[in-house]
Amino acid sequence: MVGKSLTRLGAAEKVTGRLQYTGDLKLPGMLHGKILRSPHPHARIVSIDTSAAEAMPGVVAVITPKDIPPNRRLQSDLAVLDWTVRFVGDEVAAVAAVREDIAEAALERIRVEYEILPALFDPLEAMKPDAFPIHPGGNLAGKPIVLERGSVEAGFAQSQHIFEGTYTTQVHCAAGMEPRAALARWEGDSLTIWKSSRGVHMVDRPALAQGLGIPAEQVRVICPAMGGGFGSKDETRMGTLCALLARKCGKPVRLEYTREEEFIAGRSRHPSITHLKVGISRSGEITAIHARTIMSKGAYMSSGNAVIRRCGQGSLYLYRTPNAKYEGTLVYTNLPVAGSYRALGAPQGQFALEVHMDKIAEALSLDPLEFRRRHHVQPEGQPGERQTPPGELVSDQPVEGGIPFSSNRLSECLRLGAKAIGWQRRWHSPNSSPGHQKRGLGMAMGLYRGGLAHKAGAEVEVHPDGSVEIRVGTIDVGEGAFTTLLQIGAEALGIEPSRVSILGGDTATTPEAPVTSGSSTTFSMGTAVKEAATTLREKILDRVCAHMGTSRESVSWNKGAIQITRPTKKKVSWKEAVALLSPEERRVRVEIRPGSTEFVINSFAAHFAEVEVDTETGKVTVVKYVAAHDSGRIVNPVAAQNQVEGGVIQMLGFALTEELLTDLKTGVTLNGNFLEHKVPVIVDLPPLKTIFVNAPDPAGPFGAKALGEPPSIPVAPAISNAIYNAIGIRFQDLPITPDKILDKLRLQERD
Amino acid sequence: MKIKKRWDVFFIVNGKRRSLTIEPHWTLLEVLRDHLGLTGAKKGCDRAECGSCTVLLEREPVYACQVLAVQARGQRITTIEGLERNGKLHPIQQSFVDHDGVQCGFCTPGFIMTANAFLERTRRPSPDQVKQALSGNICRCSAYAKIIESVLAASRRGKRTRA
Repeated sequence: MVGKSLTRLGAAEKVTGRLQYTGDLKLPGMLHGKILRSPHPHARIVSIDTSAAEAMPGVVAVITPKDIPPNRRLQSDLAVLDWTVRFVGDEVAAVAAVREDIAEAALERIRVEYEILPALFDPLEAMKPDAFPIHPGGNLAGKPIVLERGSVEAGFAQSQHIFEGTYTTQVHCAAGMEPRAALARWEGDSLTIWKSSRGVHMVDRPALAQGLGIPAEQVRVICPAMGGGFGSKDETRMGTLCALLARKCGKPVRLEYTREEEFIAGRSRHPSITHLKVGISRSGEITAIHARTIMSKGAYMSSGNAVIRRCGQGSLYLYRTPNAKYEGTLVYTNLPVAGSYRALGAPQGQFALEVHMDKIAEALSLDPLEFRRRHHVQPEGQPGERQTPPGELVSDQPVEGGIPFSSNRLSECLRLGAKAIGWQRRWHSPNSSPGHQKRGLGMAMGLYRGGLAHKAGAEVEVHPDGSVEIRVGTIDVGEGAFTTLLQIGAEALGIEPSRVSILGGDTATTPEAPVTSGSSTTFSMGTAVKEAATTLREKILDRVCAHMGTSRESVSWNKGAIQITRPTKKKVSWKEAVALLSPEERRVRVEIRPGSTEFVINSFAAHFAEVEVDTETGKVTVVKYVAAHDSGRIVNPVAAQNQVEGGVIQMLGFALTEELLTDLKTGVTLNGNFLEHKVPVIVDLPPLKTIFVNAPDPAGPFGAKALGEPPSIPVAPAISNAIYNAIGIRFQDLPITPDKILDKLRLQERD
Repeated sequence: MKIKKRWDVFFIVNGKRRSLTIEPHWTLLEVLRDHLGLTGAKKGCDRAECGSCTVLLEREPVYACQVLAVQARGQRITTIEGLERNGKLHPIQQSFVDHDGVQCGFCTPGFIMTANAFLERTRRPSPDQVKQALSGNICRCSAYAKIIESVLAASRRGKRTRA
């Protein structure tokens, strides 16, 4: 089963429109919620008068900061309805009414008096010690992180050349097609909430319990289906608001974001400023890599810590060097909240790194591919000693040298990708193609520590009719996780997948599971499912042996049945075998802590792009794209290919067209819509080839490694490097829009 | 002139006559989703940007969020729920299943309805024609390569592409 392209689970429900997302659900007596949002980037609420709104026919309840008990002021992202608002779009109040249009009309009748506070939009300004504090503790969001291996100072001292550069990336919205929604229903003190979620157990349930001041046992979270999230739907504030409204009304309430709210009050990719310094020795070795990143957090914390940490992965680990250091600082600003979005901070950090390395290759007169072949990290891992104090490390994310990778096929990614795009034959020196439509080839590598969740549970139960149900607490966010987990379960049991079903995304019916993040599902949840299924299979074999009076050496699996060779030849069908188990024995629940202290577990990729730049219009067309990936053994090749293609195309938007813009005088978002935050559409699809090395990883379930996020990492630098190759101009600030290209072409002409 | 606040209208939805009282500012999407229980057409933007709400109005694809329900009164409307025949998937639906033209599925009904109207007119389209025809629908999972494969395969597969 593993390695076969089983049809995606739920595909028939999706193509018929039968699959119900949260916004499609209705309950009897259900009311509709709407949120009043702040028009100011930073202000204190002096007073709120809701009487006119409450008097409107059809309005059932209005909630304001007055409804939040003062002792329930929680940290940052969990708190709702604070007396201070921190970005244009922050929540001020919420209304529930019998109809959505009535709720919306009621928002206009709420009178709010604000005391305007100084607003900060630039992280470099906001991080100054005397800057006006956005949060009581100041504007540094958490302690800046410092991770170091060896000594970069010593490394730079040994170098002959030092290369420095600064790179920036923009606010980039995940913009899943389903605007987030929640539906809350109370029964006594217990809440059931359906919502867009990527972590019912680890994210929403505890956050709702804290936000509402009730024990977690009284909260049931169900994610019926996810209309795309890409990591950004790990936000619970709207769920808490929906539950507060429902509690005040005594009726179920559904709250749906508009598209504009999804852009402004959803969660976006952190904008970043990265400064890189790389030392090269006389013999051409990399003596040190030092990266410093500052990210604007926006108004609230969200997944910032993971994002800033991940941003440094590339600089610390992608190139072989005994000396590497990463410093990351997160700064609160009065901008919309940044959160997690596909590969967290890795695309930002590795955009900087891979454009910088391209520049170094050129300065050393090396073909960019050759430079990477010589210097990328090898299977044995990094040399060098760790300097960072143990207390500041994440145990499963080592920085030190001396630890090998469980597998590392980066060199094959480079070889196969280069061959597919015809690098040797077609790469030319920069700006050397004639005419006004100039072609260029570029490439970039990527690495991602994927797959390691903290704790993963799974339950496998076989019913008396022989059917098997796998229960997992994670969510299929649209990538096909349930399909791959089912394949892993069927493989471990040795039965046809048609006998197996899978249930997930509900805190009441599934064991604790991690959030769907960090490309961890196939690896971590897959390991848990495999272990539970294997345990069940062993139990069945033991039972059959005891029943038939034979030993384990005399039984074997044969196409979903059990073949017995001694004392007599006999075949026991799956159903007969299952009937030998007691009800308790038919169910196996496991909890595992995936990971390894012996190995570093990473996925790898090398991407190659050919672009055509029209020097008259500044338009960039991607002519050809090749994505080569080492994600271990591929569980479902077609779904995996779909995932890589999707990741590449999504990030072409990050590279070329997408940016959420804020007016820096008022803090107002200027383009919270699909017309102006331009995501790629079908006509932007380039000829795209996906290559999987498909070599099993010894640590992963049936050899699988992480896949979901890695395709998003090398895209922007590969495109920037290809544009450089086409027109001889470096772009270090994303997105690379036609106006930026034309401006620089004019400068080039003038010089 | 007095504006009529309530309209008694009917639509032929997926072949069945459906009568109801509507208000003049309701969109066709609201009527389908909130009043007729047909949630297959999705509200992805409500402002003619994403195509997730695409349905057929007299066989022409329209963004249901941009059609006032009163404008559609008395007309034939086909939604994603109306494509199956006798419990069997429509060839385009089957093709999206077979070629994995789906990730999260939220945009899928809109893509299938647009493809349906397109294949009605264009029997053997080129990949570029498919791209042009579907350029008014957004898939943020960006399953575009597989969507094109699905539509091309459907054009080769079925005689019955008409909704």
